[in-house]
Amino acid sequence: MAQRAVAEEGNQPTPVTPDRRPMPPVLRALLWALIGFVVLDAMSALLDYSPNSPYISQVGAVAGWFGALIGWLLGIGGYEYVIKPMLGHPTPAYRQQGWRRYFQLAEDHKVIGIQYLTFSTGTFLVAGLIAMAMRFQLMNYRPTLFQYPQSYLNAVGIHGTLMMFTVATVAMFGGLGNYMVPLMIGARETVFSKASGIGVWLVPAGVLTVAFSPLLGAWTTGWRGYEPLAASDGVGILYYYLGVFALTMSSLIVAINLVTTIIYKRTRGLTWNRLPLFVWGMLTVGLLTVIWFPEIQTTFLLATIDKIVPMNMFNALGHALGFSEFFWLFGHPEVYIVVVPALATWNEIIPVMTRKSLFARPIAVLGLVFVMMLSGMVWAHHMFTNMRYSEMLPFSFFTEMISIPTGFAYLAAIGTMWNSRMRITTPMLFILMSMYNFFIGGITGLFVADVPANLQLHNTFWVVGHFHFTIIGGMVFSWLAAMYYWLPKFSGRTYNEFWGKLGAIWVFVAFNATFMNFFVLGLRGMNRWVSVYPPYLQPENFWTSIAAFFLGAGFGVNLVHIIWAWVKGPKVQENPWQAKTLEWQTSSPPPRYNFEELPVVVAGFYNYGEGAPEPVVAAQSGSQG
Amino acid sequence: MANVVVFGIMWIVLSLLGEWGASAWIHSAPQGTGVFWGTMSNLGVITAGAFDFILIIAVPIFAFVVLMLVFSMIRFGVRKNSTDKGDAKDQTRANKAFIGIWIVASILLNIFIWLHPNASGLEQVFAAQRLSPSQKPLIVDVTARQWEWIFSYPQYGITQSLDASGNDVLYLPKNRPVKFVMRSFDPFHTYDTTTDVIHSFWVPAFGVKLDVVPGETRTLVLTPTQLSSTEQDPMLRVQCAEVCGPGHPYMEANIHIVTASAFAKWTKAQASGS
Repeated sequence: MAQRAVAEEGNQPTPVTPDRRPMPPVLRALLWALIGFVVLDAMSALLDYSPNSPYISQVGAVAGWFGALIGWLLGIGGYEYVIKPMLGHPTPAYRQQGWRRYFQLAEDHKVIGIQYLTFSTGTFLVAGLIAMAMRFQLMNYRPTLFQYPQSYLNAVGIHGTLMMFTVATVAMFGGLGNYMVPLMIGARETVFSKASGIGVWLVPAGVLTVAFSPLLGAWTTGWRGYEPLAASDGVGILYYYLGVFALTMSSLIVAINLVTTIIYKRTRGLTWNRLPLFVWGMLTVGLLTVIWFPEIQTTFLLATIDKIVPMNMFNALGHALGFSEFFWLFGHPEVYIVVVPALATWNEIIPVMTRKSLFARPIAVLGLVFVMMLSGMVWAHHMFTNMRYSEMLPFSFFTEMISIPTGFAYLAAIGTMWNSRMRITTPMLFILMSMYNFFIGGITGLFVADVPANLQLHNTFWVVGHFHFTIIGGMVFSWLAAMYYWLPKFSGRTYNEFWGKLGAIWVFVAFNATFMNFFVLGLRGMNRWVSVYPPYLQPENFWTSIAAFFLGAGFGVNLVHIIWAWVKGPKVQENPWQAKTLEWQTSSPPPRYNFEELPVVVAGFYNYGEGAPEPVVAAQSGSQG
Repeated sequence: MANVVVFGIMWIVLSLLGEWGASAWIHSAPQGTGVFWGTMSNLGVITAGAFDFILIIAVPIFAFVVLMLVFSMIRFGVRKNSTDKGDAKDQTRANKAFIGIWIVASILLNIFIWLHPNASGLEQVFAAQRLSPSQKPLIVDVTARQWEWIFSYPQYGITQSLDASGNDVLYLPKNRPVKFVMRSFDPFHTYDTTTDVIHSFWVPAFGVKLDVVPGETRTLVLTPTQLSSTEQDPMLRVQCAEVCGPGHPYMEANIHIVTASAFAKWTKAQASGS
């Protein structure tokens, strides 16, 4: 216990003498996952024994997966750091040091944030390469790379699922949110730091499950896993449901942890009126996640049972549209879970870069809150081509209306930029590009929100272009802006302005060249989920693919540049942007418990100009001189 | 104030140029109206009209935001070698007139486009679904299965219309209302006809689609208004628009829109051939 007390003090180095040096946690987790799979699969095989049944049946694959998940989480550190302490044993004092601490169960929100960012980035590369393969196939109207449509459709499904549940939902929320929120609210750690440390390891489990699901049989439903098609699809769909279950569970833990932390751990003087915009974004996203993720997890477990029993819940004997309804009930809030962090990031960074007080701050916050509340009322606009006529008018009404609170983000950003002194740095450039891209995503949404036009545009490439503009154009560009902006915080180093701007312009041009074409393709009759298509569409698809390859390379340039800057970039002063928020009031990278003495907030963070009040008193521990 | 005036003039000029471009684009479509679809069915005229109208509305909004981003970058950007690195002089944190106009305008605009072309277009679509017997609609039973469109014409005793090479084909007479009666099931799997999945009946040139849901019978009424065929215009084809399994990309059928007399000749040949 003495050792434990020392470890919690945190300022002294942890004693390096281990209780007993364990195996590298990731290796042990893999081993235990294998054991867990074999044990639970064997149990299911024994319970329902038949000499003719295969050793791994559908039921066994599901049961074994849960065994593997438990083994994985225990092996990564759940056994020593959660189970044993619950039984009265002391928490082991030994922790991996240096880079190895990223490969075990961590409790430091900064380590967890970087773990999430790493998993998101790695998955972005994998799912991005799948997109490149898809574009390669679409260069020709006949089968080339994917000889069978089901392998192409399976690639579409894995691309969408991984991008959605491991990148779009995770990078800014689990990654930047975990790292930044405690720093920005003046907290030393998050409330549920142990649960948070376990939750991050659900991500690689989920990613591997989804990525290797075709081994059990191809599934063709796209990222929705929708019934009744899923019921007659390959068995791989089971690992889609289970993989997404793990991924959503991870985000749910992030949400519960961050929302609780924001409510209970704000430092003295950090009232709701002074809460940073980015933290408001994380709070609204967290609430959305808490509301909607349990709903989709329940649906996916229902669909899993429906598949292995089978129950006939979602086919002609049950309610064939039921799954789609359950899915989109979550699915539309999900896209706001993706995009609200981006909207919040704009108004976080713009005042800093323009040296001007944030314009209409209450409206910017209200916009985020109203988007959160309205997002559960628009979902059926994904089903205009199969709903009752009487439902069309209300759902199109709410869908049009949600553009008003979304527009508040633009209102605040534009008002701040007007008459400002804008420093066009790489993060600012990415923010401007994100605002441009997301606006195209929004305004093309006007067309699909209109029911008559939707009856033509639904399920064409128009829709594919529309959501890639909102998600890549809005969220990924803002993610890159945030990465460049906070790079000095992560590492104490900075990027090269020339390469940063080149990377920004590169992805911006290639992105627009790629996805602008999607709108025209959609208008010309190109539908979704096809690996082969009528020959008249080939020339335009060919050039779209060429642009897409440039886009892929552009993301590679940014990734290499950020990694280089993180490791080897020039060192910078503590607060290179002269920002006022709390994360810049401590050293970079911050110490284990962030602040030696907690800062006290006495004014808002977005006041600039002569005589603007300083927001913080008693800033200690390596604050900028 | 000078900034506001310059911005305002540039916005008006840019919007006018945009409207001119949008209008030219709309009218460049091969059928004369609508962006790439429109005049081949009565419903397509409505949906393409909605698209065109929103495009016209969207141009000035788009011009406003894009111009604002570019204008701010150029006009308010600080040069690298500028000596003045301080905060902005103008620190306005609220402007009631600007915020008020923004909010009121966005609410009004949204209500407006919800009413027109959304609600108004829908009313026309709904009205077009009502038929009186005097209009003598052609009834086509559409069966979607994994992965085939099957068309039968109960009024003419055609159980499955096929072309010379044995592919399913849809023949429609010009200017006569057609009532598609759609079901999703597999007539060849008599032991389990409930196993089929959701398909979507889409003819790109008709500008409309409707999902075909297992266990339900849905109808779509429209009138083809132009002589054409898939060979002449590949937009005129039946294409499944909802992913329905590995055969989804191949789930399409050719269409011929013909004169009433040619249609009568075709129905006789089909009925005797099958």
